[in-house]
Amino acid sequence: MRIWVNGRPETAYEGETVFAALIASGYLTLRKSHRFKEGRGGLCGMGVCYECLVTINGSPGQRACMVEVEEGMEIGIDDGKGL
Amino acid sequence: MTAKDCDVVVVGSGIAGIAAARKMAESHLRILLLDENLHPGGQILRHLPKTGGVAQHFNSWVKAGQSIVGHLKDKRITLMNQAKVLGIEDQRVLIIEENRGRTFEVKPRAILFATGARERFLPFKGWTLPGIFSTGAVQILIKSAGLLPARQILIGGGGLFLFTVAYEYVRSRGRVLALLDQGSLRRKLPSLTLLFAHILKFAEGSSYLGRLIFSRVEVRHDTMIMEARGEKNLQEVVAGRLDRKGRLIQGSEKVYRTPALAVGHGFVPNIELPQVAGCTLTYDGTLGGWIVKVNEGLETTKENIFAAGEITGMGGAQKSMIEGYISAASILQKFGKRVEKSSLSRLKEERRKHLCFGRYFNALYKVPGHAIASIADEAVVCRCEDLTMGDIRKAISEGHDTPGAIKKALRVGMGNCQGRTCGPVLHDILSLYAGRPGREIPPFSARIPVKPVPMSSLLE
Repeated sequence: MRIWVNGRPETAYEGETVFAALIASGYLTLRKSHRFKEGRGGLCGMGVCYECLVTINGSPGQRACMVEVEEGMEIGIDDGKGL
Repeated sequence: MTAKDCDVVVVGSGIAGIAAARKMAESHLRILLLDENLHPGGQILRHLPKTGGVAQHFNSWVKAGQSIVGHLKDKRITLMNQAKVLGIEDQRVLIIEENRGRTFEVKPRAILFATGARERFLPFKGWTLPGIFSTGAVQILIKSAGLLPARQILIGGGGLFLFTVAYEYVRSRGRVLALLDQGSLRRKLPSLTLLFAHILKFAEGSSYLGRLIFSRVEVRHDTMIMEARGEKNLQEVVAGRLDRKGRLIQGSEKVYRTPALAVGHGFVPNIELPQVAGCTLTYDGTLGGWIVKVNEGLETTKENIFAAGEITGMGGAQKSMIEGYISAASILQKFGKRVEKSSLSRLKEERRKHLCFGRYFNALYKVPGHAIASIADEAVVCRCEDLTMGDIRKAISEGHDTPGAIKKALRVGMGNCQGRTCGPVLHDILSLYAGRPGREIPPFSARIPVKPVPMSSLLE
């Protein structure tokens, strides 16, 4: 299926998480850290660490590892909203 | 049945939770089964494909667990996925957020916490670089998406789970550059009694090691990751050899060039919800640190609140399944239902056996004081608030030597993950520098909401 990452079309597969789809498309940096403003990517993959926060269909601060991809989903990464 | 009509709320649909839910539903109790994840089954049954590798041959419970997941459609069980329990107040009132939206409250006759465990980490300089994943995350990507984060990976940290993940990587046609275990091979050798009591588990472990040797994976013991480097993403990892006392041997550093690293240093139980509910905790370093105090029937110190699985002591999936059945039997007895006494005492006996294995297993993850002392000042410890080992050493030297004090001084553990990632290692850091045993250092306090929630979900 088709998803959009920062406006760019990418392929994703039914049943996988947003986190898996992003890694498969080569997106590792998902947000910036508070103090050092360094790039961060998902660590735990199971909803604990909150390092994979992305914007999904306009709703910020979603854990990419806890949401399944949907056709046409718009995902914003490293957009300054992943607090 | 609506969610509010239930007799028992089971928090967590891992192997302990589903075993208990099924058992209680069979005896006509109405169950609300809650889980934050997308699917029931927990980490261990997560989308396990039909050809689950050698794990299936050694673990009859994998099949049993899959069959329970298949039977969760029982009309007495209401399964609610992507639901967060935010807290418990006034005895047994649970505050629940349903799939990122509505919040509601429910007061069942009994609660069973089966909240499982998460991974623990020993920080090192650069471990926040993208391209570094937990060993659990890598296993989840392989199991549920059939995805390797990179063709080639380095696996490091401590304990037996490294071997499981390395095996699964190789089996999925990935390349494991090396497996670096900071523990020693010597410590892995079990006593004969333990070996015979758990022969299948050791056979499973040996078959993983066998496959790694067959695939020519470089397996190194007494080897610790010192630093990860990279400009934007991970590019290389520096590891060093440890001597018998766990100190770094100067000049033994080796550099691995790799785009991906899987790292993990064992597991810690998810005790936050029982903690908020007011259940007494107890400290046992050989069972995962702070765990929930339970009696033989797995009731906590709060009446009609029970706990099962990793939160009563880290002991693996089989122990969790057994505890699911024991807790279900206790709840049924409380409600005046008939329970077969002989099978219950057999389960309790089995449980004791698994606790012994748990103690062996957890000892392999023990982090030596030298390892904590060698963490670089630049290493980020609290990832949410970007606090480094240097910040923490400074605060401790200023007298902030309890979790509560250091939290107020630095905001450590006050970010999104609420101290779930840094808490366990901070516990070890404080124990070392304050010179006090683990049981004298309390865990971070937990408060409602135990997980971040948008204000809009709370307004009604």
